[in-house]
This record gives sequence, C-alpha cells and structure tokens, in this order.
Amino acid sequence: MELIADRITKQYKNKIAVDRMSFTLTKGVTGLLGANGAGKTTLMRLLCGVLAPDSGTVSCDGMSVGTEEYRDILGYLPQDFGFYPEFSGKDFLLYMSAVKGLTKKDAIQKTKELIELVGLGDSAGKKVRTYSGGMRQRLGIAQALLNDPQILIMDEPTAGLDPQERIRFRELISGLGKNKIVLLSTHIVSDLEHIADRLMIMKDGQLRWQGNRSAGGEDLEAFYISQIGEKR
Amino acid sequence: MDNDRIIKLLKEICSTPEPEEKKAFFQGLEDQGLISRRPVVINHGDFLLRQFFYIGKWIWLLSAVLLLCIMGICYGNIGNYPFALTPLLAVEILVETGRSSRWKMAELEYTARFSLRSVMLARIFLVGIVETAGLLVVIWVVRPWFSYSLIRVFLYMMVPYLAASLLGSVYERKNRSDNNWGSIIICFLSSGLFAAAPYYLSSLYEERFTVIWTVAFILLVFSLVVSMRRWICELEEAVWN
Repeated sequence: MELIADRITKQYKNKIAVDRMSFTLTKGVTGLLGANGAGKTTLMRLLCGVLAPDSGTVSCDGMSVGTEEYRDILGYLPQDFGFYPEFSGKDFLLYMSAVKGLTKKDAIQKTKELIELVGLGDSAGKKVRTYSGGMRQRLGIAQALLNDPQILIMDEPTAGLDPQERIRFRELISGLGKNKIVLLSTHIVSDLEHIADRLMIMKDGQLRWQGNRSAGGEDLEAFYISQIGEKR
Repeated sequence: MDNDRIIKLLKEICSTPEPEEKKAFFQGLEDQGLISRRPVVINHGDFLLRQFFYIGKWIWLLSAVLLLCIMGICYGNIGNYPFALTPLLAVEILVETGRSSRWKMAELEYTARFSLRSVMLARIFLVGIVETAGLLVVIWVVRPWFSYSLIRVFLYMMVPYLAASLLGSVYERKNRSDNNWGSIIICFLSSGLFAAAPYYLSSLYEERFTVIWTVAFILLVFSLVVSMRRWICELEEAVWN
C-alpha cells in the first residue's frame, strides 16, 4: 500500500501553505516535523481530503482522496476538534463508529477495546466536557482507530499528553506502524526519536528533507535544526 | 554554562523515558485483534436509523409541544393566528443541521466513511420528515374547526414553516457563528409577520389567493432544497478553505 502525493500545492490568499510537495508514504511510521506555521496541518488536511489542493493529486493504491472507499481506510486525528456536549466518552466513540459505518456489535466491541487501550476505562461514562485536555486527546486517538484504518494521520497527537501518556501513545503508534501507513506531525523532535521509521521536515510550506530516521543520526534535534537552517 | 551545554542538560531532564513492557503491549494488541481486524460496514438505511437516536431529545419534545399548541389554539377558534406558530418549528431543523460546525465536529465527521454530507442530510431528513408528518396530522385534526378546505389549511400551515426554514438556512449559510441565535430570531420574526398578516392582510386568506399560496409553496420547497444543498456544500468546502 502506498499513499502518493504528487506536486500538491495549497495557497491561502497571499501565503503558500504547501508548495509543490511530492512524496510517497508506505507502511511504517512517518514523522512530519516543522515549526508552527510550517504548513503541517494544511498538508495533513490535504492528505485527508478535508482540503482540496489548488494543484497536484493525492491517491492511495488508485483511490482518490476524498472518496468513500478512501475515507473507509482513513483514520484522522485533527489538531483541533470538539465534542457534542451531551456525549460521554463512550457515547462519543459509539457515535463516531456509526458515522464510520461500523455495525452496532462491532461499535460496542471496538469502543470497549479502545477505551481500555487509551486508559479511559474509569471515565468512559463521564461527560466529555469534564475531561482534561490529555483525556480528550486520548479519546481523539481512540476515535481515529475505530475503523481499523490502513492510513492513520494524526496532527500533533501528543499535544496535551503528560509524559506517561506519551509513552503509551508511542508504544501504540509503534505497534500500529507495523502494518499501516502512519503519519504524525509534531514540532517536538523527541516525540519521533524512538518511533519514526521515516522523517519529513517542512519549512515555509516546502519539504526540506525526507528520508529514513537513521539518516538523521543520533542527535535528531541537531539534524532537524540543521535542515531548517536555524542556529541553536 | 554555554548554550550547547544548557540544551544538552535540558534534553536529559525533559526527554521522555523509553517505553516499558513494549513486547507485552504489542502481544496484547494482537490478542485483542486491534491491529488486523477490519470491521463490517453498515448500509445507508442503517446509518439513517442510527442517526435518529443522536438527535437531541429536546428537538422531539419541542416539536410535540409546538404541535400541541397549534392544535390547542386552533381548537380555541381564534381565526388565522395558529398558522403563525409553524415558523417556530423551523428552529429545530436549523439548530440540528448546524450542530456539527457549532461543536467543531465537522472535520471529524467529514473524514469518516459516511462523511459530513450524509450526517447533515440525515438530520435534515429525519427532523424534516417527523415535523412534516406531525404537521400533516395536525392539519387533518384541525381542518373541521376551520371553514377552509384541507388544501388551504395545508398551505396556510406549510408556507410559514418553509419560509422560516428558508430564511434561517440562508442566514446560517452566510453567517457561520458558534450559536443559532440569528436563525432563532429569524424564525420568531417570521412567526410575528404571519401573526400580523391576518390583521393587516386579511384578504390574503380568501379563496381567490389560493393559487398564490400554492405558487409560494412550490417556490419555497424548491428554494429550500437549493439552499440546504448549498449550505452543506459550503460547509464541506469553505470552512476549511
């Protein structure tokens, strides 16, 4: 399975958020690094079909982005998302299961599994509005996994997670990356140090570097800084 | 201490520890079937049915209360004023349709199999069909209390409802806000307008104007379909752009 982006460009008025980016993602964890405002979120939205590119194409094994069959194999965690106020954590996952097309039986089972997996077992019945930022983020991660996606795209997934939660998240992502295309964006280099198989580095809407994680050497942060051309 | 040394020291202090019990964790995932099991998907009929249970209970409660009020006022035999209450029913369809963007759920729903379009269409269909069915029952019940024909009672009830729905949907489409106060006010203003109509334009309810009411009904149905379609399309595309 390959997710191919071919010279995709997105412009907002006078700012080019993504500038002629081409790359191919295969199974494994790919980390997307870039400072705030580098264009990571726009790129992720383009890959999910939430945004239409001004030029270029995104496809996966012949499926165009935005089609029902593409969405069926996609799991997406946006950077900023909300919840219906009346929902508990469990209600939210059951609702997302319905929108993702899971049968009721599957929805109940997957919800139960994922609630445990993200460590929300004790709070599943509580209203989401009472959750902390980290708990909401974990619930967001759980909803992205509901349909067992083949492509998993996560925008700043570790935002709001405490160190312990980050370990759990990294373990989960490492495992999922074995047989899925996983792309996760962050501006925190240490999030990717131990889990990314490949790296992409963005600056000002352009892909500055892409390659295997090992090519980045031991000190990934120094490598990242050297690629975006900034001094320590 | 120079900068490089400070950075190195901070990195040592702040770096996240190595994952523990990694092997057992992956084994657990495999055992639970989380990694490789693809779930079965439902069809559009099942999706629609499931959406029914996610529509707020207050929507159905308010609809029932309003329909009972219309019946009660009709029973009280106070002229054409009961027809002015139907625009208030439009509040519910407008609030329900705009729920995804109001609560920042639109992006998540957009990337799911059934997509934001299906979610919004399901809500419009379900609330619209239940309200229309409720109105048809009310029309059938109250018809004997009026001197009008069934078709005229139907038009006098439906035109205000459709007019408020249309105006509200246009407003919501053009002014995407975090609340529905704008469209709620529009519905109340429409209600007030139709409450004043029998007083200022009593001739409008004469039989000779039935053709005008019929044309208005057809135009409103067509315009409402176009407006709702544009609302969904613009929400899908423009919100992100």
